[in-house]
Amino acid sequence: MMTLIRRELLDNLMTFRFAAATFITLLLVVANTFVLITDYERRLASHNEAVKMHQRQLQEKITYSAGEVRVDRPPNPLSIFNVGFDKRLGNEVRISHRVVPSLWDAGMHGSDNPFMDMFASMDIVFIFEVILSLFALIFAYNAFAGEYESGTLRLVLTHPIGRGKILVAKYMSAMLCLIVPLLISLLLAIILLTTSTAISLNSDDFLRIGGIILTSVAYLSVFYLIGLLISAATRRTSTALMLSMFVWGFWVLVYPNVILTVIPRLESPEALRASAFNRIENIWETFDRERKHYLATDDFPGEDWGYDLRGWGSRGANLMGNSQRLLYTYRSVMNFEGFGEKDEPKMPHAQKHFGFLGALTIDAADRTWLIRKPALEEIFIQPADMERIWLKLSPVGLYDAATQAWAGTDLLGVRDFFHAARQYRQSVINYFYDNKVFESRQWFSGDKGAADWSGLPQFVFQRDDINTNAKRALPDVCLLLMINVVLFIVIFLIFVKTEV
Amino acid sequence: MWHITKREIYDNLNSLRFALTTVLLLALMVTNAVRHLREHPKRVQRYRDAVTESLNHLTDRANDSLYTLAQYGPGNFYKKPSPLHFCANGGEPVLPDVVEVDEPPVFMTDAEGNRLLEGIWSLSYPDANLQNKDVGPNVSQVDWAFIIGYILSLIALWFTFDAFSGEREHGTLRLMLANSIPRHTVLIGKFLGALLSISIPFILAVLVNVLLISTANTVHLTTDAWGRLGIIFCLALLYTSLFVALGLLVSARVQQSAVSLMILLLTWVTFVVFMPSTLASIASSFSPATSFEEFWQQRHPSRKDLWDKYKAQLRSSELADRKLRAKSEFYTENAEREERRQEAQLKYRTSQVHRARAITSISPATLLQHLIEGFAGTGFERHLQFVDNTQRYARQLREFVADTDRADPESLHILGVREGMSKKPISPESVPRFEDTLNLSKDFNTAAVELLLLTLFVLVLLSGAYLAFVRVEV
Repeated sequence: MMTLIRRELLDNLMTFRFAAATFITLLLVVANTFVLITDYERRLASHNEAVKMHQRQLQEKITYSAGEVRVDRPPNPLSIFNVGFDKRLGNEVRISHRVVPSLWDAGMHGSDNPFMDMFASMDIVFIFEVILSLFALIFAYNAFAGEYESGTLRLVLTHPIGRGKILVAKYMSAMLCLIVPLLISLLLAIILLTTSTAISLNSDDFLRIGGIILTSVAYLSVFYLIGLLISAATRRTSTALMLSMFVWGFWVLVYPNVILTVIPRLESPEALRASAFNRIENIWETFDRERKHYLATDDFPGEDWGYDLRGWGSRGANLMGNSQRLLYTYRSVMNFEGFGEKDEPKMPHAQKHFGFLGALTIDAADRTWLIRKPALEEIFIQPADMERIWLKLSPVGLYDAATQAWAGTDLLGVRDFFHAARQYRQSVINYFYDNKVFESRQWFSGDKGAADWSGLPQFVFQRDDINTNAKRALPDVCLLLMINVVLFIVIFLIFVKTEV
Repeated sequence: MWHITKREIYDNLNSLRFALTTVLLLALMVTNAVRHLREHPKRVQRYRDAVTESLNHLTDRANDSLYTLAQYGPGNFYKKPSPLHFCANGGEPVLPDVVEVDEPPVFMTDAEGNRLLEGIWSLSYPDANLQNKDVGPNVSQVDWAFIIGYILSLIALWFTFDAFSGEREHGTLRLMLANSIPRHTVLIGKFLGALLSISIPFILAVLVNVLLISTANTVHLTTDAWGRLGIIFCLALLYTSLFVALGLLVSARVQQSAVSLMILLLTWVTFVVFMPSTLASIASSFSPATSFEEFWQQRHPSRKDLWDKYKAQLRSSELADRKLRAKSEFYTENAEREERRQEAQLKYRTSQVHRARAITSISPATLLQHLIEGFAGTGFERHLQFVDNTQRYARQLREFVADTDRADPESLHILGVREGMSKKPISPESVPRFEDTLNLSKDFNTAAVELLLLTLFVLVLLSGAYLAFVRVEV
């Protein structure tokens, strides 16, 4: 057995294809890692700038009602391996008691030239996707067909060795050869990553990278086995080579690009959207009624929500909705710097009103979210998930999905941020309640001291720990492994039955 | 020579790869056509609706008065979708399809909300349709550019990798060269044979594709479009011959066909798949873009500066006429500055994209992509042309307003100010209309360099193949 493996290994190692595989993979990975690291550093700088700017903008606001707390999604350092949704989805979101934030309310703090998105972007996994599969097939096409043609297969089989052992030896040695370029290039990439000052990887990140390596090996093995299958089935090197290339072109190039064009895109359910929006509108109509009712029945005459305060500054209020995103909210902003003498008696009334309004708005926003969450899920997420399942019918899609999950740049990973943002909103609201911010004078006026933003809870976003990543990645990894096993059994059966 | 070509074609016609190629190309082209027929009518409808709306704005304003037209300007401008969208989608989701006409700004109002100091319309170039709400997987379009750039080039290598090395392995090369045929004839024969045998399934697929598209009555192709299709087809052949030449070159140098295929595939992967994106990323990191915040912050000092300049005149209440003139100048200059600032940003971004495009042109796949985009009337150059068209129209409209105002004897001819302009309604028909036109000769001019570059690549590779083959020892 060991002799067999050694023979195969030497056979493979001394070839041109091994040298080419190592060289090309190294070249591509190292060159692109440089580019990707620069890109990541730029995104990180832009993120830091945005955080600082939002902080500054917040500090400049003298009233609480005018202040807008914004949180920013930091770029994921593992997006270098698989960029996934990290660059695409919104990366700044407003935290306000008026609305529960979701992915669809996020904006982009863009410091990039949007036109540059015309050029396709790349990551390390994409390189592996294309190049490793190609090499796997190149290593496999003549494994049986070549030996069959040159007659050495017959020679080997005259020895009392089980056919299964020969198969295993071939598989092991070729995989060893294929893993070498993979590991070396990844190692170099990691070294480059650690030399960059902007990127700090913790132990979880290394485990994640380990997961990516594991998935890469499984992916590699799938293509190697496909090549072996073709080689065992066709028995002629030229045919095997041709077929392998066709299979490669189909799975790597054609299928992932074409399948989504072929399947009819699910129309987003308009009826559902309309009914959900209707219910949301109702909530806010009720809200508006209660608000007006309060204004009409409170001790202060008149129904003006601003209590006829005339000072230096601005005010504005409106109900606004967006049926596309199922967004609805009431926004009232008062930003005054000072008041006249005769406004003073109105103050307690106004303060009481804003206290009432704050609680009412929070309640309406929370109830809106209860309707909005499942509706958004059904309208946006479900059709997209269907498309992802179609993509997963190819090993390339599985590999992509699994590495995205490991890197935490998949949709779930990005949505974690919005989950954290929602929790942060809750803590901001609690802070507002605890400090009686809604009832305070600073809610609408900065004349007796400006709003104090320093006590606000800080937003920190920690990516979920490795367990979550593993939980999300494992189904796809298992599928990849299963494909491996099935292919292996099929090849074994074919090989056992072959007459030499 | 024809003999060799014929032999090659017959050889290829019977092979497995020919069958697979035909099936693959047909499937892709049919997918492309079906997709286009499904999407294009929607696209055209969207465009028509948008244009009607913006025309309605124009008509309303013209009916109101010349002053309203001068202040609010026309409606937004929309990019006309190209009927050849199926050839290259040209980064459509990234490029905006509209140039907006900004509402006149309001600088000062009195207590009742009357506008004391305002402005006039100006053009603004919105960012791309940001797709940050789309949670679906990345969808790439199966357009001709993809089919030709990726699939057809791979097929070309597939047909040629064993052209010489395979024959050498079988020993037929020696046999052939034993006859009194000059080597270049053999080479050209092989070249034509491979090119023709690839062309057969390609032409078949293209014909099916075009047939499907042209017979459907939802899409209308004009003579201009047919001419452009012809050019794109020729481009496809030129591009394919590039890879045929490459295949012949490698095949002549390398002894074994397996090694030859491997080298070819690696070259292909590097130049076609990886090069464009890597080079673009490198190019984009050369010059960082101005941030949106910066862009907005530039606006503030510009306005303050303007205000300081006209403050004295605007405040002086001695001469109504002079004040009006100052106002008019203030409005015009503000709009001009706004437009200039927007244009400067656009120019900066454009030059960045141009640099990236120039660098990525090393890859023949990108060259082809740019060329097909250029002739299909989609993509970046087309977008610039659209922006150019809107700018030209904006000037035209402003001239028209000035001329019409001059014809009105009651007007004071102070543009942009209510008191100083003609308040008569004008017939909407007399207002010039915006037309988003494409010009084939202009497209040719922009594409000329890339076309030459592609041809150069082909020639270099062909002569390389010739040199390699002549020196080969059989």
